[in-house]
Amino acid sequence: MSGATQPLAAPPLAPLARWRRAWGRMQRNHIVFVISALGPILALFVLIRIYPILETIRLSFYNYNITQRRNPFVWFNNYIRLFDDDPFRTALLNTIAFSALSVVITLLLALAVAILLRSIEHTAPTFELLFYVPVVIPWVPAAVIWKWIYDPAYGALNYVLSSLGIPKLGWLQQPHLILYAIVAVSVWKLVGYYIVIYGVGLRGIPEELLEAADLDGASAWQKLIHIVLPLLRPIILFTVVTCTIICFNVFAPVYVLTASSQGAPAYDFKVVVGEIYQNAFVFYHMGYAGAQCVVVLLFVMSLLAVQFLAFREK
Amino acid sequence: MFKEPSIRFSAWVACSVLALFTMLPCVWILATAFKTAAEINLWPPTFLPHAPTMENFQQLLRETPFLRYVFNSLLIAVGSTLSIMLTSSLAGFIFAKYRFPLRGLLFMLILASAIIPLEAYMVPLYIMVFKVHMLNTFEALIFPLMIMTFGVFFMRQVIMSIPDDLLEAARIDGASEWWIYLRIILYLSKSGLMAIGVFAFTQAWANFIWPLVVVSSGDMYTTELGLAEYQRAFFTEYGPIAAGAVFSIVPMLIVFAVLRRHIMQGIATSGMKG
Repeated sequence: MSGATQPLAAPPLAPLARWRRAWGRMQRNHIVFVISALGPILALFVLIRIYPILETIRLSFYNYNITQRRNPFVWFNNYIRLFDDDPFRTALLNTIAFSALSVVITLLLALAVAILLRSIEHTAPTFELLFYVPVVIPWVPAAVIWKWIYDPAYGALNYVLSSLGIPKLGWLQQPHLILYAIVAVSVWKLVGYYIVIYGVGLRGIPEELLEAADLDGASAWQKLIHIVLPLLRPIILFTVVTCTIICFNVFAPVYVLTASSQGAPAYDFKVVVGEIYQNAFVFYHMGYAGAQCVVVLLFVMSLLAVQFLAFREK
Repeated sequence: MFKEPSIRFSAWVACSVLALFTMLPCVWILATAFKTAAEINLWPPTFLPHAPTMENFQQLLRETPFLRYVFNSLLIAVGSTLSIMLTSSLAGFIFAKYRFPLRGLLFMLILASAIIPLEAYMVPLYIMVFKVHMLNTFEALIFPLMIMTFGVFFMRQVIMSIPDDLLEAARIDGASEWWIYLRIILYLSKSGLMAIGVFAFTQAWANFIWPLVVVSSGDMYTTELGLAEYQRAFFTEYGPIAAGAVFSIVPMLIVFAVLRRHIMQGIATSGMKG
């Protein structure tokens, strides 16, 4: 900007007036450009983001059914019904348990591995590549792979366990095992992404800081606690937030893993998105599903707010 | 960072174990897709196919129009990717380089909506599509995937690093704002744009719940939906299921292998913004 205006600003009045007019004209075509280019994008944004989000909230106060002509306003009835909805409560508790386990295991494992990778700098890119392959595999084939591994009769997991003398287990059939089975799939799928993210953060830590700590005789553990982790704080916040959102939305792997396999029907592990899907698109109780969306969204938002407070910069 | 020999050794061991954990299932599904039905049900299980066969792919294509699913997925992913690349770069450019009223507010709104996932607002989207009688169409499948709020944010970061002097020089030479966008901005941000393109493509390809909701006939199935439904209907036919999984995985692996550098750079940038 300054480079362009200086030679023009130096000559006296006439060019200066011309420059002012040009500036005025430029402003106008900037305005035209901004409105004509950003306008349609914002309109699309309102149509497919803002309006549906607000409409979800509005729907939650109606007894809305897409096949009915009359959809009465029912105040907070949908929310009151949620209190007595046992499947929804089960789904919420399952999703919370799944997300808590998944987020903690994925991120701790990713952080530990990313830190270890820094000590073998030369092979780190190769390892990161191997860890990243499950990340690019979509959830459905990922679940298909693991379903076969978990198969009670023919699965590889039971084969490995039985060769160690442990009896075969119905990983997807027993209610207390299926949670861990799905957590394992999500850790497998997500850990590589967070290893790469932490790797980026760790590479950003100045080497001099660690060398200075070495000179002061700090142990590896002390360097980790007092230098590395505090500097990673913003990235840890980013990973906790994104991982929580991903895990709370778990649906496709559950949809695939809980379908019957080789003659043994899987346990019906309920998650919140599954309940929303059922209510909205199987029973067409769309107002009620809207209330579920709002409750889950408020829950996740408050969780994220707590995470922001816990990891904010001092 | 930590050069102690004991740490280096445990790093090797831990990373090798984790690499086995992440890679073995992938290799195994590829191997299974080429095994005969008899070998798949063998106990103890075999790892690599003894007599590689294409039988599973032939059976899958006999029983389902799976190539049609792949075509549908490709069409949706390409449409969504082009739209996201256009809207993200244009909006990112405007938010990065122009001062206009409400800019901060609009940008915050876009950024804030990025943490609300599709699952939370898909019911009204479905009702909209239903009311205009567009269920079960490509338009409906692409529609929610036409913009990516993260893409706008990401492209704004990328374009902010392009010097203003360059744009001013072009303006003095008489360039219009559209010309600047098409010739300067797109050219100088092409690496970031590639990263967003890859994200958009993989996101659209992997999307499952939206096709599940709006698709009602088999010819509009996407690869993911076709695989999930085939798996539910023929859960004992493990060979063809594995073949279907290969159809879903291999395009992603190719994209990843070819554009690895862009993906890693994109992740690096997204991580830095935390």
